[in-house]
Amino acid sequence: MPELMLDDPDGTLVMLRDSVTGFAARFPGAKAMRERRGRGGTMDPLIWSAMAEAGWIGLLLPEECGGAGLGLREQAVLSEALGRALIAEPTGTASVFAATLLGGASPGAERSRLAAGVASGEMVAVPAWTSGAKPVVARSVNGSIALSGETRFVDAARAATDFLVVAQDADGVMLLSVAADADGVTISERVGVDGSALATISFSDCAVPADRVLSRANRSEELLRQAILHTRLALAAELTGLASKALELTIAYTSDRVQFGKPIGSFQAIQHRLVDMWIEAEFAAAAVVNAVDSLQADDVDTAELAVLAAKARAGEAAFSICRRAVHLHGAMGYTDECDIGLYLKRAINLNAMLGQPEQLRLEFVERESGYRRGRT
Amino acid sequence: MASDWNDIPDEEFRSIFRTWVDQNCPSHLRYMRKQRPLFNEVAVWYHALAAKGWLAPTWPRQYGGMGLSAAKHMIYVEEWGRLGCPRIPDHGIGLVGPLLIEYGSEEQKAHYLPRILSGEHVWCQGYSEPNAGSDLASLQTSAVLDGDEFVVNGQKIWTTLAHCANWIFVLVRTERDAKVRQKGITVLLLDLTSPGVRVRPIANLRGEADFCEVFFDNVRVPLKNLVGKINEGWTVAKSVLGHERIFLGAPTRPEYALERLRRLADARGAFEDPAFMSRFARLRLDLYDLGSAFERYAKVLRAGGELGAGVSALKIFTTELYQRITEEMLTVAGEEARLADDLAAGDVEIDAMNLFLDSRSPAIFGGSNEIQRNILAKAVLRLPG
Repeated sequence: MPELMLDDPDGTLVMLRDSVTGFAARFPGAKAMRERRGRGGTMDPLIWSAMAEAGWIGLLLPEECGGAGLGLREQAVLSEALGRALIAEPTGTASVFAATLLGGASPGAERSRLAAGVASGEMVAVPAWTSGAKPVVARSVNGSIALSGETRFVDAARAATDFLVVAQDADGVMLLSVAADADGVTISERVGVDGSALATISFSDCAVPADRVLSRANRSEELLRQAILHTRLALAAELTGLASKALELTIAYTSDRVQFGKPIGSFQAIQHRLVDMWIEAEFAAAAVVNAVDSLQADDVDTAELAVLAAKARAGEAAFSICRRAVHLHGAMGYTDECDIGLYLKRAINLNAMLGQPEQLRLEFVERESGYRRGRT
Repeated sequence: MASDWNDIPDEEFRSIFRTWVDQNCPSHLRYMRKQRPLFNEVAVWYHALAAKGWLAPTWPRQYGGMGLSAAKHMIYVEEWGRLGCPRIPDHGIGLVGPLLIEYGSEEQKAHYLPRILSGEHVWCQGYSEPNAGSDLASLQTSAVLDGDEFVVNGQKIWTTLAHCANWIFVLVRTERDAKVRQKGITVLLLDLTSPGVRVRPIANLRGEADFCEVFFDNVRVPLKNLVGKINEGWTVAKSVLGHERIFLGAPTRPEYALERLRRLADARGAFEDPAFMSRFARLRLDLYDLGSAFERYAKVLRAGGELGAGVSALKIFTTELYQRITEEMLTVAGEEARLADDLAAGDVEIDAMNLFLDSRSPAIFGGSNEIQRNILAKAVLRLPG
């Protein structure tokens, strides 16, 4: 089945894939997803710390911060493998996004503390940056910082030890960490489609010590841009793995399921649908590889286009492959018992994160040629 | 002249090839509206390539070719397209040459290969018949051995450029009762000027005659024109395309069509319309990702690997994308889509209808997209039969 094809001269990528396969045998993805749903969306700390132990959570963090010091190629392969194995942990946000912010933050005690904690799994630092109805605003008060406002769609908020908050201040945007149990922090959760919980976090005159500032204006915008870029790539890879696996399961099911005296996978109507699904998965893998290559070889504007394309392609492919996969499983596919529905729900969640395909495509065209909706 | 083109770094080869082609391909032949010009229309370019020794990119050098690797051949084809050079009648170069080099006798190679390079022989390919299209193995054109000659009767159809060819590479049935239909098929080299041959061009939807019917009425073909063994022509016929299959999936046509759509849309103010913008963005990204997918397979060739059956994905995607782009052109044209001729867009003419009609055929030829899907279902997805 389609997968990322990247040069692997020293065998690192194979090792990463193998380690995910081993991990999935210990912590089967579908089982973990069902259990999390049963707990109301709270992350299993055992799984997260095992992932940290494997070196995955701090994969992008520099070695001097306690991370693995690996790059986006390795991250893409890891994320793809996690997607295939349906290890539906908040890797995109609590690992890739957080590690990119921390890796680029101003050197200092707070950055060191968090980076080491994140890499080891002892801390969970969750990015909280999507503005809600009231954007998060930072004011200086007596040498500390007071935060007010709210931020939405925060993953794993109950498991978080710290939030990495993006707040507006007089100079622009600042990045700072906030202890999850600080006074003035309220977490309200909603149930995510895949059984994870998504939180809105409200800050009400929440006092944050000034030494928790991770970066100031100018630098923060750039950091955020980079974190979005890396996370979109990781999500695209995860969606590619997920799509490829959902297709594989559907090929197995239709090859096995007999009606009219034959496997339904022998019927041309079914075969052509499966082929179209395979082509979409193949294109998703190619788009992600293109983005990985572009991030290594090209200027940042070109690379950002490649990543927009990859996230759009992989998201669309995963959503559409999983929809058809459910259909091709027949009535079984509509049952909660059958795993294929979990793939669909996971695909919906990741596809909607950091831009749906339509939005990403419009952004691509606008950036590439200056065309905008409604004007040229 | 380099001793071996494959020893030259890719970018240097690209530059040498590009410079010479740009200087030597006549400007009136660039970006021809006609997809398949006749031999006479492009003969000057054909002979120029032959004189330079660059007419047959993949033939071994001992036969007058360039001996290019798949990687270098891709550069050759890319630059050819980028400079808007016309397609030449290439069945001799791309099909008959490679087949004779692999399956032909020494005598056949010595006789035919130089005549392809000189342009004395212009070849066409006699595969499809009225009742044998996708199901090629059901072909019925017969050849019966009579002394040291075959007597050929029957009909071929969709024979591209037969009306400017003087030789045909033809599949005939030599054994009617074979248990497996693929058995009993034989490959013959047939002189189209022989008595009993009649060629009738067929007008296509664009009003041009790219392809023909070819009728055989007791046409006598010498035994020495047999390629390979009698009744074992199927293997020969099927081995035609190796790495060249990647070119069926090249993004060239949709690339050109999208640029035309962009110009038309600009001139018509379509980018003001959010609904158009959304459709345009999808087409643009489909083209962009087709480039990434093409590269996925090109990389395999550059590394010296062989293309698997999966390369059919490119053919399906590129031909269907080409159709969707040209359909969008007609939408943007509005009521002007009622017109047969070109549409003015600022200082250029956009051949929207011409492209729309042209885009019907690539999804059919080279193995229809449904056949490609059957191949993928079997060879890649390994679905039950």
